[in-house]
Amino acid sequence: MAVPETDGGGLQSLLMTRSLSDPALVAASGDAPDYAILPEVSVLKVGGQSVIDRGRAAVYPIVEELVEAKKSHQLMIGTGAGTRARHAYALAMELGLPTGVLTEVGAAVSGQNAEMLGYLMARHGVPVVGAAGVGVVALKVAECGAVIFAGMPPYDMWQHVPEEGVIPPYRTDAGCFLVAEVYGARQMIYVKDEDGLYTANPKTDKNATLIPDITVDELIELDLPDLVLERPVLELMRSARHVKSVQIINGLRPGTITRALEGERVGTIISAA
Amino acid sequence: MSSDSSFVTKDVASVFARQTLLDRDLVRQPDRPVVRLLPWLNVVTLGGRSIIDRGAETVVPIVDELRTAMPEHRMLILTGPGVRARHVLGVGLDLGLPTGVLAAMMSTEAEQNGRMIASLLAADGVSYLSHTTVAHQLAVHLSASRAAVSNGFPPYGVFEFPPAVGKIPPHRTDAGAFLLADAYGAKRTIYVKDVAGVHKGDPAHGEAELIPRVGAAELLAMKLETLPLDPIVLELMATAKHAKEIQIVSGLTPGNITKALAGEHVGTIISA
Repeated sequence: MAVPETDGGGLQSLLMTRSLSDPALVAASGDAPDYAILPEVSVLKVGGQSVIDRGRAAVYPIVEELVEAKKSHQLMIGTGAGTRARHAYALAMELGLPTGVLTEVGAAVSGQNAEMLGYLMARHGVPVVGAAGVGVVALKVAECGAVIFAGMPPYDMWQHVPEEGVIPPYRTDAGCFLVAEVYGARQMIYVKDEDGLYTANPKTDKNATLIPDITVDELIELDLPDLVLERPVLELMRSARHVKSVQIINGLRPGTITRALEGERVGTIISAA
Repeated sequence: MSSDSSFVTKDVASVFARQTLLDRDLVRQPDRPVVRLLPWLNVVTLGGRSIIDRGAETVVPIVDELRTAMPEHRMLILTGPGVRARHVLGVGLDLGLPTGVLAAMMSTEAEQNGRMIASLLAADGVSYLSHTTVAHQLAVHLSASRAAVSNGFPPYGVFEFPPAVGKIPPHRTDAGAFLLADAYGAKRTIYVKDVAGVHKGDPAHGEAELIPRVGAAELLAMKLETLPLDPIVLELMATAKHAKEIQIVSGLTPGNITKALAGEHVGTIISA
């Protein structure tokens, strides 16, 4: 069987002879080059509970800002799920349903939010796409400047089971991060309703203070009881080969998205190292 | 505090409303058991390299055995990708493509193996089911037929995790089969390989002692040089709700699959 031999046969011969979990093979695979598929794209995640559930007051100004931003940036806009997913999770949990079923239910809500955002941005030529369909994504991002996708990863009945309870551990924060990583995007920005990461949940704890920047290791070390970003994203960041930092910003403050896209620090930056 | 009172969130009342879903105390489940959706399901995974790549000599008797088992056991048969996945992985790595793309390419090979196995059982009412169908309509398919075949890879595709070391997709056939079996609350999870089970030492290189029964954490801690199963499964077992036991059996010994389906211990049983 003909295989590329540019590596002098090391990796390729390991591939044909070893288990895929073999440490030598796994290590050799890390020496492969990293090609960034869409290096000019910025991935934004628009929160479900934090933004879309707020309705017009929050969403219209953000749509305007995104429409303006797509003139000078290529955007992939992922959507969160929000309050309906929380209701469905609570109900499904009470019914004794497994994590896989909750994942699908959550995915549907993030899909609704993508669709609604799609209707609002339709007149600007922004389509809703499946994030995995690279052909469409590449074309539409180039032609329209932006695409919208549902942020929930398609893990369905194959979702990891959490250590406690049944709530899917990999949700829309993780899904959007993985989209940014697989396409080798420039940046990953989480558009939420807080100025960034706090020492506690600022909605419930008056003593919470903002953390302007922090590394993944520091954040894991802090072991905060609550967090603005899904915890598994921190682990994914550690292993990422393209997206080494993410920014969490407050989309309710006008101009913040635009400034973040320009590379300014306007919220909390979490870095892999 | 940045939240402005002019923004009103339209909540649906629930115990999780307004939560981040990340507060550990709030997501902890009150002792409520998770339902076994398909308690009669047997998930039987055929290794790609270990079984299917061996060709007719190995595959035909195994398919015959599965056919004979159908009247008694309802099965979801999952397939691994084998050597073609190694090839596409080699090409993809060389091209610099990311893990998520490699996962999608490898998964296609597992799917093709599934289609071939399903074709051999078509006359017995067995079809190949896509991921979507397995996730949403497995119940009706296994009520209409005693068995169905699908892709062992999970549908992670471009959403595959970047692994801690290297670029090889971490969720492959063994992990996909395990996660699915656990989500459905399957009765048995059986991995059909070309070795009798887990050995101390490498059975391909001389004498090696078979381990008949072992705990997942214990096996991980042994750090054996070769395992017939992807070690990620041993990690996933720690949080599984139902799949607390899996069995690895050799498909090269006739009758093993039948015995394992009947609950007999013929290979290595790994428990959570």
